[in-house]
Amino acid sequence: MEPNSSPIGLPDQADQFNTLITSRFERSMAVSESFFKNESSRVAQACREMARRFHRGGRLLSFGSGAAASDAQHVAVEFVHPVTVGKRAFPGLALGEEISPRFAQPGQAGTSSPFAHRLRVLARPQDIAVGVSTGPEGDRDLLEALQVGHEIGLLTVVFTGGNSSLPVQPGIDFCFVVGDSDPWIIQETHRTLYHILWELVHVYFEHEGLLQV
Amino acid sequence: MSDSAGSDYDRLFYPYLFEVEQASLEDVLEQLRSSTVEKSLDLVKLRQRVLTEAGAQIIAAGRAMAQAFKQGGALLVFGNGGSSTDALDMVTQLNNPVRPGWKPLPALALAHNTAMVTAVANDVGFDNVFTRQIIAYGQPGDIAFGISSSGNSANILTAFDQARRQKLLTIGLAGYDGGKMARSPSVDFSLVVPSEQVPRIQEVQATIYHALLEIIFESLNGPVLSGPAGNN
Repeated sequence: MEPNSSPIGLPDQADQFNTLITSRFERSMAVSESFFKNESSRVAQACREMARRFHRGGRLLSFGSGAAASDAQHVAVEFVHPVTVGKRAFPGLALGEEISPRFAQPGQAGTSSPFAHRLRVLARPQDIAVGVSTGPEGDRDLLEALQVGHEIGLLTVVFTGGNSSLPVQPGIDFCFVVGDSDPWIIQETHRTLYHILWELVHVYFEHEGLLQV
Repeated sequence: MSDSAGSDYDRLFYPYLFEVEQASLEDVLEQLRSSTVEKSLDLVKLRQRVLTEAGAQIIAAGRAMAQAFKQGGALLVFGNGGSSTDALDMVTQLNNPVRPGWKPLPALALAHNTAMVTAVANDVGFDNVFTRQIIAYGQPGDIAFGISSSGNSANILTAFDQARRQKLLTIGLAGYDGGKMARSPSVDFSLVVPSEQVPRIQEVQATIYHALLEIIFESLNGPVLSGPAGNN
């Protein structure tokens, strides 16, 4: 498609598009590089705690609303059906797909969060709760679920962003905050984070003795 | 180490046994820390490479998509596994734009039509789950957008062939060397993330489709890029 033939693309706009995607890629690179440099210790610790839960027969239960619902599904399939043939599979389940959380109403079944309700019904103490959100709006749907999970005994992990208030909330074992205001940049770093957690959880199963410490 | 912790006697008599275990926990933590940083640096390099090598193609694909939406087209997006969640995310983003002033655009995530997918897979076969829906929903001028890490998923390749027959704009995201998708005559724009690490491929694919979305929304709604009078 020639730029000149397009009613929405004048030739002098090519530079604008170039600037637009260059800044998007560069921001994504800068945010993820500094995030993992700062968080590598907590990533290593979270992997160990997750590995200990899987070792005890726990399952990963993931959830998020809006765009984060996609990430919740992605995390679950990553663990259940590893892309690398021969890698150990772990049970993961995205909450909500089967109940259409997009349409679930607050107040349903005596709770304000469909994920909290689902956890009360499904979760076992050795499980892992993974909540995903890109900031304060999505956090609201997670908080009650994470606290319910914590009460039941789950390891609670959350991926959020922007100026989230979750890090100061009780009952959350690992709160990973991607400090950016662009929800897409946050989401891209979340994706790398859960991929790395998935890739590295396996390392502990090569040293099973460490899981009993 | 509750069972294998041993008695105080064991600890005194075989100190090396316990030292080894303790040391290796610290070793493993250190291994994971450096591995985490290493992976994130690989990712930076891969994003840089895609920007350099495929930036112009991403812009061209984004503008073609914007043009299709402008003329009333809808997006039909599909993938398997993790890629199906990217498809769902694209639909969420198009339906609920993240910035004020961006108008919602029509899109369907074909893998998330559970009744349709299971009906077709059960009665015909999994290779047809997307193709059947392209036949049902695809109109000339719509966009068929397929996402695959390998570039070789049969149900995506056949969906592109069908989309081409129905005169849809066809755009594919792939990894590795682009696989069969990159060589398919049915695909107008094939955007490839040249890596063999599926996690890294998917992470860069996210940046690509976010860039496409930004190009689309800015083309149609942005103060500068939507162009002179009459474009709204």
